[in-house]
Amino acid sequence: MARRVLLCDDEIHICRAAEFKISRAGYDVRCACDGEDAWQQILEWQPEMLITDCQMPRLDGFGLCERIRNHEATKRLPILMLTAKGLELSRVDTSARWGVIAVLAKPFSPRELLRHVENVLPLCAPYAPQTLGQTQSTGISTAILTAMPTV
Amino acid sequence: MDRLSFIEGRKGRWLLGAVIAASVCWLCLWVAGVFFLSDASRPLRARISIILFTLAIGGGALLTENLAQQHFRLLHAFNAIAQHINDASPSLDAISDVQSMPEGASRDLALGMIENIQQLQLSCSTLENARSAAEVRARRNKAKYEHLDAILNSLPEPLLVIDQFDELVHANPAARKLFAIPVSAAEKQKLSQQIGCPKLIDILVETGRRRGAAQRTGEIELPGDGQELRAFSVTARTLPSKGDAHSDHKPVHQGVVAVLRDISSSKAAQKRNAEFVSAVSHEMKTPLAGIKAYVELLIDGDAEDAQTREEFLIVIESQANRLQRLIDNLLNIARIEAGVVQVSKQPLSLNELLDETLNVVRPAAEAKQITLHCDLSNLYLGVLADRDMLMQAAINLLSNAIKYTAPGGRVTLRSRMDDDRISFSVEDSGVGLSPEDQVKVFEKFYRVTKDREMAAGTGLGLPLALHIVEDVHGGQLTVQSALGKGSTFTIHLPASAQLQLA
Repeated sequence: MARRVLLCDDEIHICRAAEFKISRAGYDVRCACDGEDAWQQILEWQPEMLITDCQMPRLDGFGLCERIRNHEATKRLPILMLTAKGLELSRVDTSARWGVIAVLAKPFSPRELLRHVENVLPLCAPYAPQTLGQTQSTGISTAILTAMPTV
Repeated sequence: MDRLSFIEGRKGRWLLGAVIAASVCWLCLWVAGVFFLSDASRPLRARISIILFTLAIGGGALLTENLAQQHFRLLHAFNAIAQHINDASPSLDAISDVQSMPEGASRDLALGMIENIQQLQLSCSTLENARSAAEVRARRNKAKYEHLDAILNSLPEPLLVIDQFDELVHANPAARKLFAIPVSAAEKQKLSQQIGCPKLIDILVETGRRRGAAQRTGEIELPGDGQELRAFSVTARTLPSKGDAHSDHKPVHQGVVAVLRDISSSKAAQKRNAEFVSAVSHEMKTPLAGIKAYVELLIDGDAEDAQTREEFLIVIESQANRLQRLIDNLLNIARIEAGVVQVSKQPLSLNELLDETLNVVRPAAEAKQITLHCDLSNLYLGVLADRDMLMQAAINLLSNAIKYTAPGGRVTLRSRMDDDRISFSVEDSGVGLSPEDQVKVFEKFYRVTKDREMAAGTGLGLPLALHIVEDVHGGQLTVQSALGKGSTFTIHLPASAQLQLA
């Protein structure tokens, strides 16, 4: 079964490019146009990974992260951030506070984005919200971060 | 007539001499009468006695006159000298009197006295001169001090002075206000009792500890009128003490003077500038990201069929166009702001120009399902204006109205002629502006924080419109708004621009 990846960006052509690249690699990809939209899709569709922009209308990337981490069923969802603010964001905020696995700066390479997805997803157990409570708490991010290529 | 004056008179002296001489003669006669008048030679003796008597009278009178003259002259001189002292005016009479006295102790005494008195008088007048000079100096110094004090007190920058014991010796009104130091506060108090800013105290004291002339600068933050902190730069410098320039000992300063400068506004400008650069780069990165991503997809051969490839190329083209527009706008703004762009005013029809403007913004309004309502005057509204610039201003107002109005809202463009003024206004049913923001939106790079999420922007649209209307066309740009109730921006163009048209 194809693994589910949710893309969230208010720029439709960015979403489309990433979607095109990742879905061609055999993933099941959907797009959201802002944080609120993404949150609805996370609850309904239960993706196994989220790739989100930071600056978006209605609910921004950090607001979305906060909701995800504060919700019991979604708090272990792996998150990649894809933002033009790349270098301005502090690592403390992104990785330590919100557990963002990696921050990719725009302009980005779809190739590299796909490589991140391919590196991260196999390390995560198939996403099953009802079993999430039983997995080890901080296991994911440390395991993934060590396995990640440098960003 | 007092006694001295009487005796002093020539008559008096003669009388005194005569009395003395008569007394002597009478004594002689009495002696002669007792011892010699029983003899036969009485007539001879009587004659001798008369001669003696006369001589005695004469001699006595001369002697008396002589003695008296000397004596009185001395007295006279002393009297004159005394008057001389009292009047403080040189009495030549007294001096010549004394000089005409016969040589002797009294003359020397009188001369000595006169000399002493003259010297005393000289010293007195020297002292008097010195005193009045000192008085003038004191008055001048007082005026100078008051002037300097007034200068210090009228300085808008807070100024503090401490002495070498780290005690506050002077604080001008600006500093008193800033640190809430009461005017009645006793001088020479410890710094920490008056100033509640440890960093400032540290700068002052630290400057004072340094050897010789020293200067230190620093930045501190102090609570302002509201809750916001205000940033101040502090320049502290030692006050050099006088006269130790050639001393071998280490120079001892007399204290430290510190001037504070409010740098909040320049800090805020810096921050806004940084935010602007960040916003601009974000705006530029977004289309660039699209271009790069699709180019890479094409290179990697991900687009297998011709239709997908074409689709990708169209996206690349549109993103490249978007990037170009953005760069053009940025450059335009920079050039117009810097005054590089030539202004060419010509008579033109405002309604025509506004019609064109509407065509430019219509796609954006339609995309958001905003109704563009056009209410232009039926009159011919001629203005003398730079076509491109005025259009830019109108576009900025209209696109702001569209940006900050929720989908389904309404934007109205009106043009009117009232009295001798031509005006046009853009009214929207959008988010509106608070009274504070109604002023601030005209500042460069300012963006209303709560509305940032609604649309991308650089915070330059309104400042640019203001520049075009007020500086280039001598008109007026006003705003009426209330939070949640929409805004109306109105551009008034002055009569002069209108009269030269028709």
